[in-house]
Amino acid sequence: MSEDIQVLIDDVVAKALAGDMDPINNIEDRVTRSKAKAALVKAKRSQPETEIKSKASEVSENSDVKTKDTIEHIVIASLTKNFSNFLDGEQNGEWIQMKAENWFDIAKHLKENEDLYFDSLQCNTGFDLEGGMLESRYNLHSMKHLHAIEIRIKVSIENPNIPSVESLWRVADWFERETYDMFGINFTGHRDLRRILLPEDWEGWPLRKNYEEQETYHGIVVPKVKEGWE
Amino acid sequence: MGVVHGQEMVLNIGPQHPATHGVLRLQVKTDGEVISEITPYLGYLHRCFEKHCENVTYEQVIPFTDRCDYLASMTMNFGYVVAVEKLMDIKVNDRVQHIRVIMAELQRIASHLLATGVFGLDLGAFTPFLHMLRDRERIIDLFEMTCGARLLYNYMWVGGLSHDLPKGFVEATLNFLDYFEPKIDEFENLLGHNKIFVERTADIGIMPAEVAINFGVTGPNLRASGVNWDLRKDDPYSIYDKFDFNVPVGQGIKGTVGDSWDRFYVRLQEIRESVKIVRQAIDQLPKDGDVHQSMPKKIRPPKGSIYSRTESPRGDLGYYIESDGSDTPSRLKMRSPAFTALGVLDEIAGGWLMSDVLAILGSLDIVLGEIDR
Repeated sequence: MSEDIQVLIDDVVAKALAGDMDPINNIEDRVTRSKAKAALVKAKRSQPETEIKSKASEVSENSDVKTKDTIEHIVIASLTKNFSNFLDGEQNGEWIQMKAENWFDIAKHLKENEDLYFDSLQCNTGFDLEGGMLESRYNLHSMKHLHAIEIRIKVSIENPNIPSVESLWRVADWFERETYDMFGINFTGHRDLRRILLPEDWEGWPLRKNYEEQETYHGIVVPKVKEGWE
Repeated sequence: MGVVHGQEMVLNIGPQHPATHGVLRLQVKTDGEVISEITPYLGYLHRCFEKHCENVTYEQVIPFTDRCDYLASMTMNFGYVVAVEKLMDIKVNDRVQHIRVIMAELQRIASHLLATGVFGLDLGAFTPFLHMLRDRERIIDLFEMTCGARLLYNYMWVGGLSHDLPKGFVEATLNFLDYFEPKIDEFENLLGHNKIFVERTADIGIMPAEVAINFGVTGPNLRASGVNWDLRKDDPYSIYDKFDFNVPVGQGIKGTVGDSWDRFYVRLQEIRESVKIVRQAIDQLPKDGDVHQSMPKKIRPPKGSIYSRTESPRGDLGYYIESDGSDTPSRLKMRSPAFTALGVLDEIAGGWLMSDVLAILGSLDIVLGEIDR
C-alpha cells in the first residue's frame, strides 16, 4: 500500500468516525474503498467507549437538533423528570434499554407528552438473547415530530412478564399476540392474549432458539426444518 | 347505526370463501342483520417465514419475501434489499435505483388494479374486474420480459438486480403507458361513478384518522382517511426524492372522508401518480451502469440491528433485521401492512350490515400471504 493511499484512508476513517460516511462512499477505486471500510471497522472495534463519549458530547453541543442520534437523550431526559429507576443497565445511544416494571406508565408518557408524542407504534417484535433472556423490542414513531426510537425490554425466560401497551396503541393488540405466539412473552393486562398465527393447541414457542417442533399434531407428522438449506 | 338487541347468532365466513381474498376465517356475531363483533382467525397460510429466514443466507431470503405478498413481489424485494443495504452501508448506482423505481411503480399499478378490480367483484361488478386484469396482464408481460417470471420475481438483489433491462423494454413500457393512461379514466367511470357501487361503498365503513393511526393502518387506507402520509415523500428511500408526484388523500367526494369509496378512489389516483413516476424514471434513466457493480461477494452485515420501512402498495412495509455478524440473519421480522389493516376490521365494521362487511373487507385490500407469512 503506497503512502498516499494510507493517508487518504486515515483521513476518511477519521471523518467516518465523526459520523460522515460520504468521503468513504465517494472513493472511486473499489479496492481502496473496501480497504478504507475495513480500516473503519477496525477503528470502531478498538475504541467503542470513546465513540459513545464523543456522541454524548455532540448532543450537549446542539441539543435542540432532533436527529436520530439525539432523540434517545431527549426521551431519557424527559422520562427522568417523571420516573425513576426505569433504565436497565448502560445505554448505548442506539436504543433505550428499559425495565419492565413501569413500562405501561412510561409508554403512556411517551405517547401523550406533547414534545415526544409517539403516536404510532411501528413494530413490536421479540428476540431470544439466549442464556435465559428474552427481549421485547418496540419501534416507536411520531407522525407529528417525525422522530423515531427503539425501546428494548429484557425479561428472564422463567418469568417473561411485560405490561401490555395494547390499550394505548391498539395496533399492539395483534403485535403482542404475535410476539406471545412466537416467543411466549406474557403481556400482562392484554385483554385477549392467545395465539394468532399458530393453532391454539400448538406446543412450544417457535422463534426461541432452542425450539424443537412437536413430533405429531393431531396425528399428523410435523415436517422438520432441514439444517443448512441448499 | 343503532344497536338492536335481539338474539345473537354466530356465523363463520370462510376459511374458504371467495370474498375473504385467501384463507381467512371471520367469526361474526350478528344481531339480526347487524354485525356486533368480528373476530378474524388467521394463520391458515402461515409458512414460518421468519423461522426459515434464520436458517438461510441473506440472499436466500429474497425468494421468501416474494411469496409473502405475492401480488406485489417487486416491492417486497425492494423493501428487503433496502433494509440490508442500509445495514451494510452499500450504495448502489443510479441505473439500478432507476430500474428499481420503475419496477416498484409498475408493480404498484398492477397491485392496485387487482385491488380495485377485486373490490368491484366483491360487490358483484364483474366487468371492471376483467378490464383491470386485462391491463394488469400487460404489466406482468413487461416483468416476464425482464426477469422471466410472471408472479414471483426474485429480481432485486442486495446491491443490484438479477438482470439488466432487456432490449426494447423502455419502448414497450412507454407503449403500455400511452395505451394505459386513458384507461384510468375509463375505470373511474366504469366502477367509481357507478350508481350501485357508490351506494354500496360511500359512507360505509368510515375510518377516522385517529383510529387509523392508533391501529397502525398505513398506505392507501391511511391516506383515504385524510392523512397525508407517504414514505416516498415523508421519509424518502432510494431516489424517490428526485421525482415529482402528488400524494392523493381521501376527500369524501361521494360520502365521508375515510369511507370505503375513498379507499377505492385513493388507489385509483395512486395509479395515475405511479404512471407519472414511471415516465420520469424512464426519462432520467442513465444509459450506463452495471447492475451487478455494488453486489458484495459475501453478504455478511456487521453486528447490529435495523428497522427499515418502505412504501409497498399496501402501506408501510417494515423489515426488522438483527445481524450477529454471520451470513444468516439472527432475527428477521416483517412488519406487514395488511396485518395491521385487518386488525382494524372489527373496529370499523362493527354496527354495519352483513353485506357491508364484505365491502369493507374488500376496501382494505388485504393479502393473506403477507398477513400470515
